[in-house]
Amino acid sequence: MSQAPAQSATETRARRAEELAARFPPLMVAAERVAATVVQGVHGRRRVGQGDSFWQFRPFLPGDSLSHVSWRASAKSDRLYIRENEWEAAQSVFLWCDGSASMRWRSTNALPEKFERAELLLLALAALLLRGGERVALLGAGQRPMGGRGMLDRIAMALAKQSGAGLPAEAPLPRHARVVLIGDFLGPLDDIQRTVARLAQRTADGHMLQVLDPAEETLPYAGRVRFEGLEQEGTTLLARVEGVRAEYEQRLAAHREGLAGIAAAAGWRFATHRTTETPQAALLNLYTALAARL
Amino acid sequence: MLSLGTIGFAAPWLLVALAALPVLWWLLRVTPPAPKRQRFPAIRLLFELARREETPSRTPWWLLLLRLVAAAILIVALAQPVLNPRELAPGSGPVLLVVDDGWPSGPDWTLRQRALDQIVDRAERAGRPVALLATAADERGQPPAVTPAMPAPEMRQRLAALRPKPWAPDREAARAALRAFQPAGTVSAYWLSDGIEHAREAADRHGDLADELQRLGSLVVLAAARDQPTRLMLAPRSEAGQIVARLAQTPSAIATEAAVLARTADGRTLARVELAFPPGATGAEGAIALPPELRNRLARLDLENNAGAGGVALLDERWRRRPVGLIAGAAESADQPLIGELFYLDRALSPFAELRRGTVTSLLQRELAVLILADLDALPEPDQQALQSWIARGGMLIRFAGPRTAARPDALLPVRLRAGDRQLGGALSWTQPAALAPFPEGTPFAGLPVPEEVRVERQVLAEPAPELSRRTWARLADGTPLVTAEARGQGFVVLFHITANTDWSNLPLSGLFVEMLQRLLQLSQGVAAAGGDAVLPPYETLDGFGRLGAPPPTASGIAAREIEAAAASPRHPPGFYGEEANRRALNLGPGLPALRQTAALPAGTVLAPIGATGVAEADLKPPLLAIALALLLLDLLIALGLRGLLRPGARGMEGARVAPAILLGVLLSAMLAPGPRAAWAQAAAPAQVQSAALEMRLAYVVTGAGQVDDVSRMGLLGLAAFVNQRTAANLGPPAAVRLGQDELAVFPLLYWPVTAEQPALDANAQRAVNEFMRNGGIILFDTREGGAGGGGTFGEGEANLRRLTRGLSIPALTPVPGDHVLARAFYLLDQFPGRWTGGQLWVQRDQDRANDSVSAVVIGGHDWASAWAVDAQGRNPYAVVPGGARQRLLSYRFGLNLVIYALTGNYKGDQVHVPAILERLGQ
Repeated sequence: MSQAPAQSATETRARRAEELAARFPPLMVAAERVAATVVQGVHGRRRVGQGDSFWQFRPFLPGDSLSHVSWRASAKSDRLYIRENEWEAAQSVFLWCDGSASMRWRSTNALPEKFERAELLLLALAALLLRGGERVALLGAGQRPMGGRGMLDRIAMALAKQSGAGLPAEAPLPRHARVVLIGDFLGPLDDIQRTVARLAQRTADGHMLQVLDPAEETLPYAGRVRFEGLEQEGTTLLARVEGVRAEYEQRLAAHREGLAGIAAAAGWRFATHRTTETPQAALLNLYTALAARL
Repeated sequence: MLSLGTIGFAAPWLLVALAALPVLWWLLRVTPPAPKRQRFPAIRLLFELARREETPSRTPWWLLLLRLVAAAILIVALAQPVLNPRELAPGSGPVLLVVDDGWPSGPDWTLRQRALDQIVDRAERAGRPVALLATAADERGQPPAVTPAMPAPEMRQRLAALRPKPWAPDREAARAALRAFQPAGTVSAYWLSDGIEHAREAADRHGDLADELQRLGSLVVLAAARDQPTRLMLAPRSEAGQIVARLAQTPSAIATEAAVLARTADGRTLARVELAFPPGATGAEGAIALPPELRNRLARLDLENNAGAGGVALLDERWRRRPVGLIAGAAESADQPLIGELFYLDRALSPFAELRRGTVTSLLQRELAVLILADLDALPEPDQQALQSWIARGGMLIRFAGPRTAARPDALLPVRLRAGDRQLGGALSWTQPAALAPFPEGTPFAGLPVPEEVRVERQVLAEPAPELSRRTWARLADGTPLVTAEARGQGFVVLFHITANTDWSNLPLSGLFVEMLQRLLQLSQGVAAAGGDAVLPPYETLDGFGRLGAPPPTASGIAAREIEAAAASPRHPPGFYGEEANRRALNLGPGLPALRQTAALPAGTVLAPIGATGVAEADLKPPLLAIALALLLLDLLIALGLRGLLRPGARGMEGARVAPAILLGVLLSAMLAPGPRAAWAQAAAPAQVQSAALEMRLAYVVTGAGQVDDVSRMGLLGLAAFVNQRTAANLGPPAAVRLGQDELAVFPLLYWPVTAEQPALDANAQRAVNEFMRNGGIILFDTREGGAGGGGTFGEGEANLRRLTRGLSIPALTPVPGDHVLARAFYLLDQFPGRWTGGQLWVQRDQDRANDSVSAVVIGGHDWASAWAVDAQGRNPYAVVPGGARQRLLSYRFGLNLVIYALTGNYKGDQVHVPAILERLGQ
């Protein structure tokens, strides 16, 4: 009799986990699909070294360990061959995506929310990196960077549970780790600068990708409009929105310049992405930039 | 009421609100339009922008103007403006509407209603209550009465329900009702008069009523303009080959015209005849000539453009069918082709007339227009007398001569005949067969062409007499009469001096024979009025607009011999009476006195025409409210547009969807806004009706004979117990009803023991019983005299039954057929015994769609109640005859079947199909 509550609690937990996981397959599939289109143009280290994937056969030289002889290849001829694998130097990459309320917004129903796009990009990038043999972890989720396919699932799970903070929280990072931050970075520049500087102290390299809705770039409203923030910033009333559009665009450009400056100061890269664009383009840029530095 | 030029205001104090418009203007001006709300993530970038550009936004001036105009129109509309207002006649008490709603008001009823509405509008503006007096008896036969003075909205509903009646107003009764009317204050009376003096004698009832009204206060009489005469269709006259439409009208100073349409039952117009009225004329006639086939289809004559009961004459058999009876001397050979005596007559007449065969007695039992006797032996004396009286009433007797007639002439001949016949031509004669002379003028055959080839070989000869040439309608070339005729009473006796076959002449072979017979047929009066006591139930009746429809429940049957002279009344509305196959028309026109215009009105009376020329007064409130609403809706759309909610696409979609929904909602609520409801208390139903409505109960008619009523009660008690025991029906204790006093509608079945003691029904009871039967109730008449009557008659009880059911619409009856639902409703029965057995049970003969073919009456004499009766100890106090438990059981079973029949109707009739269904199922 006493087992019944425990059993039901386990069942409840299992059901919740299933519910949570139910929304992943489509996202994972989408991420894999995006990653697959990108991976064709990217190759490995192209060097011989420690690794799992085959690189080349070479003739046996004296001094080589017998355990490296490929008996199958050697049996085809009279000579002995050594099987060499490609060198794979696994890197730790920490990914982060802005889950705050301002990301859960879209200007029209035809577009995805900014968070959806950021999440997709993050998972696709993770899939790509895992396929390349890197170790990946979600920044701020308390994970240790690990490789293997199972890691993608764990990142997805962690993403779903992630709290909606506008900037990554303080977390211990291994040296020479790489960091990829995806978000809208619409908060105050000072906060962003402080966070990036802190992260840059410990890491080897970093990337910032700003995902914006087109309405945030063009301010397509007109007339008398009361704007409300999504994160309790308060409201503001504009009598004629069309009159301030040009000025708004200037201010947005200035904000982006500030972000680019912050990134440059930390030796990071900064890029922008609009939800109207295809995710593949952004992913390719991100991945090539990462791969070039590896 | 405040008047500004042609516009008056019923609630002028509301106009004060116009002064508040500047305040509204100021308020609207300082309040900017509400902003559109938009959630936006990059709001931080907007904060400083907003701070710099905070110029106050104003409502645009044109929107301001729109709202002010809408508000102003709203205020003016609520002040109830009226264009060209008119005042009520002076008075302090209620406004009294007196409406002549008899037949003359049918044609211009809409005009009258509009006039009434305007008066009620005026009364409403003046805040005075309105009372109504309709001068014609209503559909239930209630005499005119003044309604209590009620507010205008309630009166409007009353007036909307008021309909013209197809009978004449009763001004004398209206005057009596007025005497009982005790208004508070002086009355402003408006009388919509039809301008006709309906009194039969030379009395001035119109003026009397006007005097009475003037006594109460001021009087305005509204009447139709004098140049529109009131017309009344009189009974058409049937003449040879044509129907003559007769119209009466009130004299008019100018020449007028009218058109009469001859229509079939399904509404097709077969002919149209125009009637001209010279100035001052009071009547006109117009002949409608139609071939007999078409004429037989006519069902009514309508006055064109006159939608009233007065403009309709219904045509029944008297104007149409010409039943012809045929009797031959040698009955067995009469129909032999080419030589039979009736063969040629049959061929000549069957296209135009309905032919009947039989004996004199049987033929005269039904209505008959023409009787043709082909060379008959002398008739027995009773037959001769019957024929004499039939001819005197309008029958036409056509005889053909022959050897028998020649040998034994009788009294039913137009001329005295010489004994024997005359032969022309032949072996032993010098003379040649004779041809026909042209038909003399002034006879019915005048104008018919005489064919050359017709020859007469033998004939009977008339004794020369002074009147012989006058009575001769056709001659031979040598001057001897061929057809003689004599008018007797309203009918004719016509003799062809030849046979009806080709023995004596070849006339029956020629087309002339057919034409001569047709002329004679047209000359005949038609169906001589069939008299008798038979009550004809109403079949279809006219309403006040001259439309035929189902008779009202209060219409009751009328005796056939009275229908000729009957005047239309609520009990007998004009229309068709009888059954579908044999119906008689009761027309409005014949029962009315001659059309007479009203005498001059008493001094001091204002006379105004109905449908007043000149500017009509118009209530401006509804259109102004509509305009204001439209402006406010426009303002709503503009406001939504200014907030960006109407812009398609983007985030504004919700707004675009919401706005039409709002509009729709406003419009719907405006349309569906409930009008004021009349709240007149209804009399509470009596306790007996309530209990009977709550629990199903059988009922018996209280006859007044205590013993019989006791038996009825005990019998129904026993039957109810039997039914409750064996079926799902749950009957309560039986109820006793007094006809004419108790409500019958709550009972499914009425047991009516026929006694000699029960007095005949009064009009009230007749109406109640007719209504009960029409609405699906079933009555079991029990003459309680057993099978004594046997085949078809009820013996002694028949007289009582006839006496009690006089005035009831008892349908045609037939003995219960073996497959009747009554025999199968629950138990399968082949006899229906009660205390007695062996008699016949009678049910309705014709299928009546309206009641699902359920017979409204079941008539028998088995004294069922005695067989069913159970006393307080649960015993059956009355022995059954001849006896046996089986008979009592069968009698209970019959009762149960009857109850089930009353409750389920013809439901069990479907069992007819059971064998077919089983066969189809393959079992």
